[in-house]
Amino acid sequence: MNKEARLKATINQKLTETGERERLKELLRAKLTECGWKDQMKAQCKEVIKEKGLEHVTVEDLVVEITPKGRALVPDSVKKELLQRIRAFLTQHAS
Amino acid sequence: MKMEEMPLSSPDNTKLEALMHDIYSELVEDACLGLCFEVHRAVKQGYFFLGEPDQESMKEFEIVDQPGVDIFGQVFNQWKNKECECPNCNRLIAASRFAPHLEKCLGMGRNSSRIASRRLARNNMSKSESDQEDNDDLNDNDWSYGAEKKAKKRRSDKNQNSPRRSKSLKPKNGEIGSSINSESHKYNHNTGISYESLGPEEVRSLLTMRCGVISEHTKKMCTRSQRCPQHTDEQRRAVRVFLLGPSAPALHSAELESHSFDIPDGQMSRLQWVESPNVSPSDSASSKASTNHPDSRRPKKKKTLSLNSGGGSGGLTEGSGSSAQSSLSLSSRKKKPKLSAAFISSIYDDLN
Repeated sequence: MNKEARLKATINQKLTETGERERLKELLRAKLTECGWKDQMKAQCKEVIKEKGLEHVTVEDLVVEITPKGRALVPDSVKKELLQRIRAFLTQHAS
Repeated sequence: MKMEEMPLSSPDNTKLEALMHDIYSELVEDACLGLCFEVHRAVKQGYFFLGEPDQESMKEFEIVDQPGVDIFGQVFNQWKNKECECPNCNRLIAASRFAPHLEKCLGMGRNSSRIASRRLARNNMSKSESDQEDNDDLNDNDWSYGAEKKAKKRRSDKNQNSPRRSKSLKPKNGEIGSSINSESHKYNHNTGISYESLGPEEVRSLLTMRCGVISEHTKKMCTRSQRCPQHTDEQRRAVRVFLLGPSAPALHSAELESHSFDIPDGQMSRLQWVESPNVSPSDSASSKASTNHPDSRRPKKKKTLSLNSGGGSGGLTEGSGSSAQSSLSLSSRKKKPKLSAAFISSIYDDLN
């Protein structure tokens, strides 16, 4: 278990150091906007706002509602591409 | 859909896969959170719903689908049958013809020749030959170099008709309108004056005020001031001799100036003249030894003119020497009227 933890820590560190994490983040955002995921989620947000009322909606409300839907609605192509990149990184850097 | 997976040859790989998914989930969650924050801020700042049309505007700008009306609800040709009263002539004019009518009526459009018709009307009533100088002032504005004369020919014609031109005249003289008429009849619209049509008095008065050099191309007299840079004093002198005879009286301005120039001084002044840096654009470009020094040389020029006429031409021309010759010959080549050739040949005769 320790090995795993250490491995994870090392990989995370490497991700941040090399800037790969940022790159992956940007890539994901771009892809999600491109494929319309963002607009979909915004529509969902509107629903939540109408539900809770414009004045009283909180971040928590949104997060709780949106995150699970968001995770589910990511298109497969985007998921595949990202996993590929992560794998490539891992094979490169995992000793 | 199944993801492509590498063959699980070792437990390390599963760990790696798990790790991979962890990282992926983290990234996705990050994206979602980012979106939530963005939306929440937009809601609280009030710009979340700005991009969408609201109900009010939707109803206001709905597409209109009635017959006889366009999609905006406007009627085609709504004002076609309406008539308006012209403030100038008080007639009832159709709306679609109103703008062109105003143009002609007020005489302010591009194609309106109201000034022309006004002029013609005035000309029929009265004729006057005075105030040529004022006309010449106008001509001053329009005169241009010979090279550009053809290009600007039409423009000067147009300017004749513009209201600005006539307005600038009004404060000068009440008779300007009529004098323009007379001028337009006598002179060409090219803002030059044909000496043939002038009487002796007019010629004299013109020459005292204006440059008066006769252009080779158009046979018209220059209406610029005495100091016009396009002509040399030589040319002016030649024209005066030609038009007023060899015994031409000295021009008025000369008499007013100092009379301290003797014959030798006249020669000297001629030489100095020649070395002045001023170049008349009408002379050849290379010649710097032009005899064109407008302001201070005028009296000397007049003096020399009278000298010349008085028979002191021999001394004068000796003094001028080669430089005057060259400048004269140069200018004679370029823009001097044919008459001055006779003048020059007389100089050569004197020299020889």
